[in-house]
Amino acid sequence: MEKERKIKVLIAKPGLDGHDRGAKVLSFGLRDQGMEVIYTGRRQSVQQIVNSALQEDVDVVGLSILSGAHLTFFPKVVDLLRENGAEDMLVIGGGIIPENHIPILKEKGVTEIFGPGTMIKDIGDFIRKNVRKIA
Amino acid sequence: MDNKDKLAEIKEKKKEWEEKVLLPAAKRFGIEKKPTEFHTPLDIADFDFVRDVGFPGQYPFTTATYPVSLVPSIERGAKPGGLRRAGTYSGYGTPEDTRDYYKQMAKLSWTGGPNLALDLPTQCGYDSDNEMVEGEIGKVGVAIDTLRDFEVIFEAFTGDQDVDRIATNITINAAANILVAMYIALAEKRGIPMAKLRCTPQNDILKEFVSRGTYIFPPRPSMRMFRDSVVFFTENLPGINITSIGGYHIREGGSTREQELAFSMAIGIAYLQEGVNAGVDIDAFTPKFTFNAFGGSMQFFKEIAFQRAARRMWAKILKERFGAKKKDSMRIRCPITAHVGCSSTTKQRALNNLSRSVVGAIAGVLSGGPPYAFPPYDEPLGLGWSLEARQLAEDATRIIMYETGMCDVIDPLAGSYYVESLTNEIEDAAWKEIEKVESMGGAVTAIENGYMQREVAKSAAERQARIERREELVVGVNCFTEEYELDVTTSKIIEHPYSEEKRYDAEKQQKANLAEVKRTRNNREVTRLLGELESAAKKEDKNLMPLFIDLAREYATLQEQCDVLRGVFGEWQLDTFV
Amino acid sequence: MDNKDKLAEIKEKKKEWNEKVLLPAAKRFGIEKRPTKFHTPLDIADFDFERDVGFPGQYPFTPSSYPISLVPRIEKGAKPGGLRRAGTYSGYGTPENTRDYYKLMAKLRYTGGPNLALDLPTQCGYDSDNEMVEGGIGKVGVAVDTFRDVEVIFEAFTGDQDLDKIATNMTINAPANILVAMYIVLAEKRGISLAKLKGTPQNDILKEFISRGTYIFPPKPSMRMFRDSVVFFTENLPALNINGFGGAHIREGGATREQELAFTMANGIAYLQEGINAGLDIDAFAPRFSFVGFGGSMEFFKEIAFHRASRCMWAKITKERFGAKSPESMRIRSPYTASSGISATTKQRALNNLTRSVIGAVAGVLSGGAPMAFPPYDEPLGLGWSLEARQLAEDATRILMYETGMCDVIDPLAGSYYMESLTNEIEDAAWKELEKVEGMGGSVAAIENGYMQRSIAKSAAERQSRIEKREDLIVGVNCFTEEYELDVTTSKIIEHPYSEDKRYDAEKQQKATLAEVKRTRNNREVTRLLGELESAAKKEDKNLMPLFIDLAREYATLQEQCDVLRGVFGEWQMDSFV
Repeated sequence: MEKERKIKVLIAKPGLDGHDRGAKVLSFGLRDQGMEVIYTGRRQSVQQIVNSALQEDVDVVGLSILSGAHLTFFPKVVDLLRENGAEDMLVIGGGIIPENHIPILKEKGVTEIFGPGTMIKDIGDFIRKNVRKIA
Repeated sequence: MDNKDKLAEIKEKKKEWEEKVLLPAAKRFGIEKKPTEFHTPLDIADFDFVRDVGFPGQYPFTTATYPVSLVPSIERGAKPGGLRRAGTYSGYGTPEDTRDYYKQMAKLSWTGGPNLALDLPTQCGYDSDNEMVEGEIGKVGVAIDTLRDFEVIFEAFTGDQDVDRIATNITINAAANILVAMYIALAEKRGIPMAKLRCTPQNDILKEFVSRGTYIFPPRPSMRMFRDSVVFFTENLPGINITSIGGYHIREGGSTREQELAFSMAIGIAYLQEGVNAGVDIDAFTPKFTFNAFGGSMQFFKEIAFQRAARRMWAKILKERFGAKKKDSMRIRCPITAHVGCSSTTKQRALNNLSRSVVGAIAGVLSGGPPYAFPPYDEPLGLGWSLEARQLAEDATRIIMYETGMCDVIDPLAGSYYVESLTNEIEDAAWKEIEKVESMGGAVTAIENGYMQREVAKSAAERQARIERREELVVGVNCFTEEYELDVTTSKIIEHPYSEEKRYDAEKQQKANLAEVKRTRNNREVTRLLGELESAAKKEDKNLMPLFIDLAREYATLQEQCDVLRGVFGEWQLDTFV
Repeated sequence: MDNKDKLAEIKEKKKEWNEKVLLPAAKRFGIEKRPTKFHTPLDIADFDFERDVGFPGQYPFTPSSYPISLVPRIEKGAKPGGLRRAGTYSGYGTPENTRDYYKLMAKLRYTGGPNLALDLPTQCGYDSDNEMVEGGIGKVGVAVDTFRDVEVIFEAFTGDQDLDKIATNMTINAPANILVAMYIVLAEKRGISLAKLKGTPQNDILKEFISRGTYIFPPKPSMRMFRDSVVFFTENLPALNINGFGGAHIREGGATREQELAFTMANGIAYLQEGINAGLDIDAFAPRFSFVGFGGSMEFFKEIAFHRASRCMWAKITKERFGAKSPESMRIRSPYTASSGISATTKQRALNNLTRSVIGAVAGVLSGGAPMAFPPYDEPLGLGWSLEARQLAEDATRILMYETGMCDVIDPLAGSYYMESLTNEIEDAAWKELEKVEGMGGSVAAIENGYMQRSIAKSAAERQSRIEKREDLIVGVNCFTEEYELDVTTSKIIEHPYSEDKRYDAEKQQKATLAEVKRTRNNREVTRLLGELESAAKKEDKNLMPLFIDLAREYATLQEQCDVLRGVFGEWQMDSFV
């Protein structure tokens, strides 16, 4: 029987925001749930994030921003992934995101937004439920 | 009966009480593994009042930094606007937006200098016309590219609020000296000598590597920049604070209380050593070290004990290690003592954050400071603090100040068996961690090798795991989350002075502003000075401050200067330790 | 070095600090007349840990009544509704309204017995069809005229919430025995034995004379009624508390902290003496005394010290004066410790009351109890507590319980120089005042001659004058009242279960209900029993409880019974002492 491979997740911090507690905690947490997690570190441009995602052929791209620039960065990541044929990658976001921005982001292709106080277990469940089929 | 016999007797009685009273009750309630604690003289058997506590405003400063309460008497505090300070961390969009904001707040009787929040491109040394930072201009603070932007912001501060009358805070670290140079150039233009300036740049670069993340250069050249601050400020800017050190950001980044204390003390030691190495007398510059905040959590007594321990440690470091003689060198000057911190707030049922910040403000008083109900309850909603939320926080602060009588007494917990033993415990653990850092070679090394960053990330992950296992509880997040709980919100009364449309336009505006500056300044002179900056930067012993001032005068941009330094110093990259 | 030498050294150092550090700073801030206080071992030079503090749940009970914290573990507390109790003081309009209210609250997972608020006519022994009390029916609580009304209310409490499963509180004083009799008959009808009834009638008539005002008969016959409670309850109702007495109402009436403590203790002594005089063993009935609440003010530390002092005083009174042997007789059983109190709330910027009740709840924990953020912020708005306000108060309580770690330690202030000396100070002052009352012949005499009433009226006037002179400050009332301050309110999410139209109809409804009862009951039997009551009342040694039970069974009204007693006992009139 073929062994199912691990879900592969890229956690990225677009832009200059340095608040990386959430990104790191999520990286640790998803890894503990058996996923393979790559953390980009801070200050990644959209191009760098998409390159990493494509290179590593990840299943999930998790974007973390606390600086208010999410309306700029999140859709750009989604668009660039699509341009490169990676429309089946699950893009999710987290950080300090006002309620009324969530529908806008979802419309632009971010599947879900997780705010403060979210349990990592719930994010893991969400990923497992919505991720593309793992070959 | 002498003390020893007393303790023996108490020990005897305690044993009896545990067996006959405590354990049966604990068993009945199913908490025999962790019965409620009660502390007695046994917990501080070696206690010595004069050595361990002492008097307020005196070595070892356990009780408080100052001998009197800093709460303004009502005659001062209750006059219209008396407790309102423009000083709330603020900065929005373009310099024009920020200027207008301060002008409007002044109408609401907010006075005093600004506490400037800068946008991330500014904090990281990028200009507003840099494509790489698109989307971030004016987002978490105001954008500053050149002296022109300072000129605009400070149009809101003239007359009796001119720059020689107010104290300005600037949350800037990697590029602190460049921003201070702009402030100096601004004063110069107004005919105010730099000696009269009062200002606090955050200028605490090491913690940026550990947690906050707005570094530019690697740790060592960053410390050289810090040395320039110490030397230049001490000689020329007697009214300016050299740095505002804080452990707050380290804790918010996820560290434990003891890690925060150890790391921020280790960082403080590194800064002190820079001054000493540059040949400055310890008592000449340490009094101009300030602290912005330590700690922050819901753990009421631990936060109180932590503040007592922090004061005592800093005093010991200064006196015993650096041989400081002046009291002002030994004290932690900090506007805030204990508080709950932003990471204790919840998005869920956000108005509960008012209750949380009240708990923190009480801890603040009990830990030797004035109360400060912070942050405003809507902090985690990401919309900026509404004036409603600020009103509630401000009224809470006032209630504690003027209704409770709490501020009539300094260190009301002095002598408490629990708090004295907890203070010792926290201090001991922090000393141990400091020793570890020191044995690696101190803060700079422990950052270069990633030790501090890794430890903080690990602690953050552990805390999250405890929350998910419900070992740590957060109301509305991992308990009391049933659907019949109500999310109570406040009604909107007044629009925030920084409106949505302004938010939308800021980036475009600021780009235009910058283009105009670049068009009209003396570009040749800028180029020449940047060349000078490059050669000076290459000489380790050269102080760059005078050149930053020259460059500010000529409207050189922040990024132009930082790029030159990037070329010489390199850039800091390392930040993944997961 | 022995203790005496230590103190001498501290004294020396303190003097030095005073001159060199404190006074110069105080002068600079213009507070040399009243510098911030700081306490040292000198303030508790005669302190003895075992004598003055001791261990939790053990004589003299200074740290707390119990050896462990009463905060429920989260496994219990966080289960749906685990911390919600129907027990919030409530009662609305007609018995039907109140029943429906409790049913609705049960759906929101409020469980446990009711804490019944009764309307003023009921509390003062008048029926709903009495013209004199028109307009007051169902106003500050539910109207209860006959046993029928108790039957209706408790339709909301059946099954696993039946009378043998819940504890019922009733805020009733002058006719407490009559209401308890109705409750007994209800249990009888449901086949539940008296021994299983749990609950607390307030039954603290003396404080009604001093402050709350719902007296009917003069003090002496009122005490005879109380004697009937002690004797009958002790024999027949082992699980029912005899009274829930306290000083909170005395303080709310304007008493100082020390007056409240002294008067409450004096009242307690009078109640205990009734039991003794009736020939009961102190340890047989004193354990069934409970306390509803002491104190309540914004003065954080004083309220904490007050509770430590009151526990210690009560223990000394029961043990030393009455020779109690059981610790149960000596401990103050009270659901609350320190709180901010209702009179500390403001109508102005009412949401600030959340802040105030959080401060009170923190004081509650620090004074040896479980936290209770009380009252809900809209208390002074006079519309009944909204569910939004309750949610905020409840969440605040939960935050203190589960996020702060505060409740892991009992009496965290034990040993604190300030707290121990403040506790002594308050206790000493209260003993002095208590001696004065005892010198007059005790509580009953000090009420009959108007001393207590006069004393608190004077204190209330003094407090008001301090507020008007702005010596006592209240945020939003006598300071910080400028027009740009915002009155922040919460958005309405859910209708209060007791709606406006019900409020409007209640009086008419209840009159109709009563008329129907009077039409259908056995009026002859009622008249006969009332006659029996009259002759029994005339015999001082006769216990009236059995007759009240008989009368309840026959649906005799409250006023019918009270009128008979008025005829025999007279009515209390005297209440102006200003």
